[in-house]
Parts: sequence; structure tokens; C-alpha cells
Amino acid sequence: MDVTDVPATRPGVKRLIGVDFDLGALRTAGPRYWAFVTVLLIFTTLGIIGWIVFLTQGAGVMAQRDNTTWGLWFSNYMYYVGLSAGGLVVYASVHLFGAEQFRPLARLAVLQAGVLVMVALLGDLTDFVRPWRFFWFVVTPNPTAIFVYTGSAAAAYMVLCFADLWILITGKGGEKLAHRMTLIALPFAMYLHTTTAFVLALNKSRELWNSAVMVPIFLTSATASGVALLLICAYIMQHFGVLKFKKSMFRSLATLLATVIIIDLFLLLAEIITVYWPTAAKLGHTERMTLFFTGPYAWMFLPVLVLGIGAFALLAPRSTRHLPKIQITASAMYVVAIFFKRYTLMSMGFSIGTLGQYETPYLPSLVEILLAVGLVSLGLLFMTIGAKVLPLAVPEHEHEEAHYEPWRTELEEDDAEEAAHPGIVPERALDAG
Amino acid sequence: MSGDRKLRDKAEESAPEGITVSRRRFVEGLGVCAGMLAAAAVPGLLNATAADLAQASEGEANTGDEVLDSIIEHDHAINYPDKPVYYAKPAGKEKWAMVIDVKACIGCRRCVYACVKENNIGRNSGFTYIQVLEMEPGKVELETAELNYEEAGRSDRWYMPVQCMQCADPPCVKGCPVKATWKEPDGIVVIDYNKCIACRNCMITCPYGARHFNWVRPQVPASEANPDVPLEEKAYVVEKCTFCVHRTRNGETTACTEACPVGARKFGDLNDPDSEVSQLLKTRRVWRLKEEYSTDPMIWYVG
Repeated sequence: MDVTDVPATRPGVKRLIGVDFDLGALRTAGPRYWAFVTVLLIFTTLGIIGWIVFLTQGAGVMAQRDNTTWGLWFSNYMYYVGLSAGGLVVYASVHLFGAEQFRPLARLAVLQAGVLVMVALLGDLTDFVRPWRFFWFVVTPNPTAIFVYTGSAAAAYMVLCFADLWILITGKGGEKLAHRMTLIALPFAMYLHTTTAFVLALNKSRELWNSAVMVPIFLTSATASGVALLLICAYIMQHFGVLKFKKSMFRSLATLLATVIIIDLFLLLAEIITVYWPTAAKLGHTERMTLFFTGPYAWMFLPVLVLGIGAFALLAPRSTRHLPKIQITASAMYVVAIFFKRYTLMSMGFSIGTLGQYETPYLPSLVEILLAVGLVSLGLLFMTIGAKVLPLAVPEHEHEEAHYEPWRTELEEDDAEEAAHPGIVPERALDAG
Repeated sequence: MSGDRKLRDKAEESAPEGITVSRRRFVEGLGVCAGMLAAAAVPGLLNATAADLAQASEGEANTGDEVLDSIIEHDHAINYPDKPVYYAKPAGKEKWAMVIDVKACIGCRRCVYACVKENNIGRNSGFTYIQVLEMEPGKVELETAELNYEEAGRSDRWYMPVQCMQCADPPCVKGCPVKATWKEPDGIVVIDYNKCIACRNCMITCPYGARHFNWVRPQVPASEANPDVPLEEKAYVVEKCTFCVHRTRNGETTACTEACPVGARKFGDLNDPDSEVSQLLKTRRVWRLKEEYSTDPMIWYVG
């Protein structure tokens, strides 16, 4: 069922702030849909219970201590912000680089970006015992504290994503405004991610964080994991008939993914070489890094390498890159790899304390896990409801895609597309000319 | 025509995945990226300006000694809200400093215990302001130092107490997003417990492990509680050594200095050229922990 094909007069469609919310679709949703929503609601409730326990019992219910100053909430913050920025890169490339094949993804990518950064911010908020003290951020912000930049960037970015989604859905301001919004949103996504990387990199107190390569690594990890998640999300939406995409769109995504993964792995390699090369090695660096290769921290770092290289190996051969199974497997591998990478990065700052004392690896407590699961469920809930209620499909007349008809081959579709829009000359043809 | 197009499309689809980039759009994209990079540089610029301004407005040192003057000049208030922290008297004219004689220190941890009592550190909080490291002879190497040693006074080890260094250039103060911690005019770094948002970024930025978070509500037996030091409001916020601000601004010395049985700790005012610390800095070969980080600690080691 394609929600945008529903006429506005259909019962159950409520128009609010210019958006057609198809509430009727919820009524006709099957039992499997509601079962999934119920599960999400249960987990979200568990998260809320976890938060109440935390607020009433104090920070002691967390597994974080002085030596592991930050925990799961922080690695998740980096993770979600990255996933969010990555999705937006794909959407923005439609407008900035004319990657028209990604246009059908636009609304989905922006919704995913907004929801993820919301979850990231909620993760921060639920880690503080007195969240209301946050108003000091506004009253006395400290210009030398990078937290001020990343926090305000995330908040503004969330607003920007939802505003952008609204513009895309309502079509207000037309293509021109949508284009201008990406001119703001993409640099903002990168700015948000740069400042997040700086939260780690700008600390001379933490040897393995204090590296400028942290910033490009964050950007590539973000793009790779964000693209991978978007690819999975697009397949899911297609599977449940919410959206339809061409195979070539998925192949383009997969190629983009493979490219970014190899850059991501390359940057990691460059960093590792700098730590160990005989003329560069410092005891403080090598001792810490070795814990992640052979020590008690290996379980979180080795998956990054195995899954990362594995995902690239799956996507690299051209002959199999177009297969949905390959694409989905590789994407899932990299989404998981980046989770471990964030967890590893966080732990690298704490594996050996600032006074040289070894610390056992941090594992989140039950309350921290409940909070994290609750937040993921909340995000998924937003996406699940959004998939039904929001007009996520980009209407036909807004892009060059032909209406999806499974009995046709892709080439026939392209012909039909030209017949439907004889005035549109692909830019590729122009460039070639 | 249709056949041509089919061929062309086929070629395009097998070509490197057809991310089409027109020249104009590519240049536009590059421009946006450049703008983003420029925006990312803003924090750095702000940093530099803030530091310059702070330095320009400070620094009248006149002890008649070059060494002391340059130290004092560099040790100025940072992010100071123009009124002293609520649990202390206003700062006087002093510039506080400490020198620890590691040759004399026997690692008995009496300073640690005295500090815990003096500063209302929760007996259940699981930290102490002062951490004494047992070091191997022949090197100053933290990676091989032992924090939880059981036997003090070993002749084949030396001992190095570490606490808040009251740095002249404190990364913790610069890392606090809400200015809940600052450096007062006499050089003491303090925390406003009622303002701390508990983000713990200061603990990340501190290279000396000197800041500690109250993960639990600190508990102190009523008979041992010090009325001059906050207790209740330290729950779920960061705390650290304050050079015993409640004592030192009343003409007393710090609790750790008082408790040291071998006199390894010297505490005093750098503005007074005759104070013990001034004399030591002028005449002895002194060093500071992680000097290469240029945090300029106000605690020196000697011996």
C-alpha cells in the first residue's frame, strides 16, 4: 500500500500543519504490525522504569565509575549521531551532487536522521541525575568546552531534520527550498559529527583519543554506518510495501558503502601504524592499544576489524554486489561493527587511567541497558508509526522514477520514464555532450 | 532511439554505479564542504581569543624575582564569575603553591586520611582527593606505578602523592561546558556544586585523575562532619582538592601539609618571596608531573 496514493478525501486521513497523516492506515494494519508495536512499547516502558530507578536511586545504579567516566550512553551518542549524519549525506547528495538515484530515499533518510539524533540527545539527558540543570548550557555556555558545540549542534540539527522533512512532504518552497535546506543540513551534519569527534580528540589527557585522525574516522564511520542502516531500512520499507525502489538504487548505495568502508578501514590502519611504528611508539600509547589487540579489551575491538573487513570483502566483487542478500548482510555487519567501534573508542580513553592504572573493561549495568534498549525502542516506534502514518514515498512527479511495476524489467522502466517525462534530459547525457 | 538509449543506460548501469555529478553541482558541494570546515575552526579561534583576553587583563607580579614573577603572571583567574565560590571567603592577594619532597615521602598516606576527614569526602564515595603512587626506582613512569600498594616505606620504592594540581592552565576549567568550575584569583580551582550538571567532562580532560564524581550520596558520620565544608550538595556532582580553601584563606595551612609526619609537603604563597615554597622554587631543581602537557601545575616535586 502506497500511502501517497491515498487521496486526501479518504477517511482516516487527517491534515495537520500541511501534512496528510494517514491514521486510517493504522486501523487497517495487520496483527503482526501491532504485535511489533506492542513489543516496542513494552521495551520503551522498561526504559522509562530504568530511568525512574536511576533518578530515585542515584547514579550508583550505573556501572560507570571514576575510571570509566562515561559509559554506554556516550558510545551510543556517538553511534546514533553518526548513523544520523550518514543517512543525511545520502539525501543531500541528491541535491548537492545530483545523485538522482537516491531521490526516492529522501524523506526516509531525513526522518531516520531526525529520529536518530533525537534518541542520541535523549541518551545524554537520561544520563544526568539532575537534567533540569541543563539550562546552564544556555545561560553560561563556555566557549572553550567542546560539549557546548556538539550539544547545541545536535539540538539544532534535530530541529533542522524535522523542518526539512516537513518541507519535503508539504512541498512548500518547492525544489528550490529543498535544495537550500540541504545546503544547510549537510554541512551541519558534518559539523555535528566533527564536534562529536572533537569531544574525544581534544583531550591531551587521553593518549589514544588525542589524534586529529579521529575527525575523518568519525566522518567515514558515520557515513558508512548511516548508509548501511539506510540500505537496511529501505529494504524493510520495501518488504512491507511502504516504499518501492529500483535495484540500481540499491546497487549505488552498496557501491557508496563499499567505498566509504575501505576509507574508514584505511584511516584506522594509519592510526594503528602511528601507535606502533618504532620511531613513533610511546609507552602510554602502545600499552593501551595492545590491550585492544590481545588484552581483555580484544572482544570489542577485534569484531570491528573482522566485521569491517568482512563487509568490504562481501561488497567488493562487482559480480555479486547487486544481490540483496549480500547487500543486507554486509550492511548489517557494518552497522554492528560501528557499534563495537564506538564502544572501543570510548573504552580506549579509560582502559588505562590517567595515572597509569589498568582498569577492567566497562560493562553497562542493568539500568544502563534498560535505558539504551528503551531509547532504541522509542526510535523504532517513531519509525514504525511514521512508516504507516507519514507520506514517506516521494510522489512520482517529483522524481524521474517510473511507477514501480514488478512485471517490467528495469530497462523498460527507464523507457517508460522517458516517455512520461520527455522534457527531462538526464544530466549524464548533458555532461557527456 | 529507444535502442540507443537502452545501450547507453546499460553502459551507465554497469559503469561505477552512476553517481552523476554535474560540474556546477560538484563545485557547489565543494563550497559547502569548505564552509563546513571553516565553521569547525570557529571553536579554536574563540579559544585563542578568550585566552588572549584573559591574559591581557591579568598579571601584575612584583616579587622582584624573575622565576616567581613569570609563574605568578601565568597563574590567573579563569572563568571566574567575579564572586568567590559560595563555600569560601574571597581570595586574598596570595598565589598558592605546593612543593612535595618525594625523597622525604614515605608513602604512609596520612595526608590522604587527613584530607578525607577535613573535606567531608563520603566514606562510601570510593575515592580520595590524594592518590599516592608507589614508583619504581630509576624512572618517573606512571604505567608501572602502583596505586594500591599495601606496604608503605619500602626502601626499594619511592612515593609520589598526586592530587589536584591547581594548574595555571587547567584543562578541566576549559572543558566545563557551563562554567561550573573556575580558577579563583589566588589560583585555586573550585567547583560550584549547585551548578555542576554532572556531565563529567572535566574528569575526562584532567590529566591527573584529580577529579572525582559522587556516584552515591556521600555519607559522613555526624560526629566527623566538617561544618566548614559542603556535604549534602556534593551528591551526584564532581569534587576535588581545593587546597583546603576554607582553611588557607583563613591563614591556616592545608590538612595534608599539617598531617605529613615527615614534613614532605610545603604549602605557601608565591607572592611572598620568603615563603618556603618561593625559596624552594628559586633554589632547587624542581619538576612537575606531565610537564609536557603545559598545564602548568601549581604543585611541584623536589628530591
